[in-house]
Amino acid sequence: MVDLKDYKSLYENKWCPGCGNFGILAALKDALVKMDIPPQNLLVISGIGQAGKTPHFLNCNMFHGLHGRALPVATGAKIANHGLTVVVNSGDGDCYGEGGNHFLHAIRRNVDITLLVHDNRIYGLTKGQASPTSDLGTVTKIQPHGVISQPFNPLAVALSLGAGFVARAFSGKIDHLSQLIQEGIKFKGFSLIDILQPCVSFNFVNTHDWYNQRVYDLNQAGSVPDNIDEAMKYATQWGEKIPIGIIYKKEKPTFTDRIDVLRQGPLNSRVYDSKRLKTLLSKL
Amino acid sequence: MAIDITIVIGGQAGQGILTVGELITLAGQKSGFYIFANNEFESRIRGGHSFYQIRISDHPVEAPDSNVHLLVALNPETFHIHKTKLTSGGIVLTEDAVNSATEQILKVPFNDLAEKTGSKITANAVAAGACLSLLGAPLERFKEIITEQFHEKGTEILNKNLMAAELGYQAVKTESFKWSFKWNPDPPKGVLIDGAKAIALGAIAGDCRMAAFYPMSPATGILVHLTSFSDDFPLVVEQAEDEIAAINMAIGASFAGVRSFTATSGGGFCLMTEGLGLAGITETPIVIVDAQRPGPATGLPTRTAQGDLLFSIHAAQDEFPRFVFAPSTPVEAYETTARAFNLADKYQVPAIILVDKYFTDSLFTTTRPFQAPDVIQNFTATDEDIADPKAYQRYLLTDSGVSPRALPCVGQSLVVVSGNEHREDGHISEAVTDRISMVDKRNAKTHSMIKEMNPPKAYNGESELLLVGWGSTQGAIKESIDLLRSQGVDIGCLIFTDLWPFPYDTSYPALSKAKRFFMVEQNRSSQLGSLIREQTGLTASGSVLKYDGRPFYPSEIVEAITRINRKR
Repeated sequence: MVDLKDYKSLYENKWCPGCGNFGILAALKDALVKMDIPPQNLLVISGIGQAGKTPHFLNCNMFHGLHGRALPVATGAKIANHGLTVVVNSGDGDCYGEGGNHFLHAIRRNVDITLLVHDNRIYGLTKGQASPTSDLGTVTKIQPHGVISQPFNPLAVALSLGAGFVARAFSGKIDHLSQLIQEGIKFKGFSLIDILQPCVSFNFVNTHDWYNQRVYDLNQAGSVPDNIDEAMKYATQWGEKIPIGIIYKKEKPTFTDRIDVLRQGPLNSRVYDSKRLKTLLSKL
Repeated sequence: MAIDITIVIGGQAGQGILTVGELITLAGQKSGFYIFANNEFESRIRGGHSFYQIRISDHPVEAPDSNVHLLVALNPETFHIHKTKLTSGGIVLTEDAVNSATEQILKVPFNDLAEKTGSKITANAVAAGACLSLLGAPLERFKEIITEQFHEKGTEILNKNLMAAELGYQAVKTESFKWSFKWNPDPPKGVLIDGAKAIALGAIAGDCRMAAFYPMSPATGILVHLTSFSDDFPLVVEQAEDEIAAINMAIGASFAGVRSFTATSGGGFCLMTEGLGLAGITETPIVIVDAQRPGPATGLPTRTAQGDLLFSIHAAQDEFPRFVFAPSTPVEAYETTARAFNLADKYQVPAIILVDKYFTDSLFTTTRPFQAPDVIQNFTATDEDIADPKAYQRYLLTDSGVSPRALPCVGQSLVVVSGNEHREDGHISEAVTDRISMVDKRNAKTHSMIKEMNPPKAYNGESELLLVGWGSTQGAIKESIDLLRSQGVDIGCLIFTDLWPFPYDTSYPALSKAKRFFMVEQNRSSQLGSLIREQTGLTASGSVLKYDGRPFYPSEIVEAITRINRKR
């Protein structure tokens, strides 16, 4: 049995005290332990930003790559070894800004990975600039007159692209988030969990209390929408009431399911066969 | 009299130039001649001026010849553009109303003859038939080629093309052509292959399992060929959303344990440079082909260049080891690509292969066979290779700079990798000692990598004068050496395929032997000349540089060198 201490990293944590990331890390560990996934069987891939550091604070296989590029790395890893359990830690800037194009195409491919977007609606690592999810009017040192671009709605975009698992969570509800992560990992296909989290250093509007007063569990009645129209309503609900939970869930063949050559086993365990190449060369 | 005939087929894009060219090329190859063919086209699908140039010879040829013996003008523009290249006794085949007092024009109504078969589309077979008739090829040989090419399209299409071929053939049968030659039924001298296909085959020979790419001329052909093999090999080729995704996918696949690949041109390679650095700092092996075209930015999309040498050596910020190769022939491209996969894996570094539009798109006749490796050496580590897998450190400091590379989720070892500067265990570190030891560790590999580098290839290397080039210009340079030597010039050449880490130990003595050496490159600043000066302190006495986007003709190099020599 996997124990919480198996995931204990000896590496010093570098987040600000009170950061929403702590809740996400705790929920992730809890989910992995509950699913009995040992660290040896887990691959966490991350981009750049405070979220990108997450796997350093776990004890597991990890690849901490470039800003915005975690999803292509994850796609490549799944092609090489499609049996891998892959979790991606990204942030609102990393995933929806720098890596926006990869976000669109990872959904189109339906790569079987679980994407956790630590969405604090601000740039933390670079000290407080607006992010793609910042509200209109958000004032920062770079946007002194307020943000003039509309916020990016990751849930609506994911739904419109046909994502099979779309969820929203709040870093303050650890048990709920753990449950969503477990569902996301179990789900065969691309799963997006956009995690609302406070930034104690730079976002003084969307605080822990601000979220706590607004979020409600949309799956409370035990139902999970598999209807796009209903899901879109939750995806676009924001303000006094913010739904958290699984907004949409519907399985379909994954990216690697559709690649015939992978049916004979993971690419990284296949054996080089010089006879095949000799045959090919003899036909030239 | 040696046979060395050049045929140019020109017209608008979409007129079937390639089809005519391929039929003639196949007829020549299957009759035991050496074939070289290149094509020049504009960045458009229809219209403009394109041409396909075929050289048929009884001795190996690896460059285009500037003399044209037979010009097939599918439109009047082709005649006007190429007529000055016609050699004495050369013939222009055309159906257009073109008049000339100086050139011998043979009017053949390609389309009218094609209509007799009931299908205008067979005009290409008519044209090819007329060409081969003038060249003296037996009709039966040509009919065999037509049958091979069209039998899968059904009896009706095949018969129409056979009829068209014969109509074209008979239309000019009584004409005499000064450059007609004897066609013996000899077996093929080698395989007819373009550079792009050779690289794709080389990737298979390097046990490439994953390729990610974004379409870009002139690299796309490499991925098209690779994809055509992918049903028969454990290989996945994925079209990425952009070049940034392509290189990051390749890195992810390599990290998870398969040899991976991407190919692009200069603009796409620009987008890949941050990923190149990621491969560098994470010590993840990957192979990247940069099929060069003139730049910067979009530049000339369908033309050729050698402008990315210094860029590929220096691409991405800061310093990390990499390999850079530039093969000269298809067999060498095949072997170099396979070798690049092995070396990238062995040293856990990126390897870059520089080719160009001229090389990827030209057809060459191979002069030695492609060999399939019997085994592929495995350079990764498993738990059995690691003393204490639970204490595994991905970036363990070693004398060679190469650390045992375990794969994620394969054993008990946890593989921790970061593109941030890191400690031996892979976690981020900003400590001065870690920074220095990791930079030193990565760059320590260069000592062993340089020993893997082949010396520049010498051809008449003991001469007073040497021409120095790299990659695809080898064919034109070597032929220019033959021409100059036949004029009594004591000249040879050195051609670099292995460029980085720079093979100083073998290059310095090879260059020093000559009284003078001249650079021959397809860029404006003589990039290899700069590199040689930087690395050896030796300075070229001059250079022959071409950056108009078109390949070198051997005669251009001869003229330039003759001019330089005369000035002295």
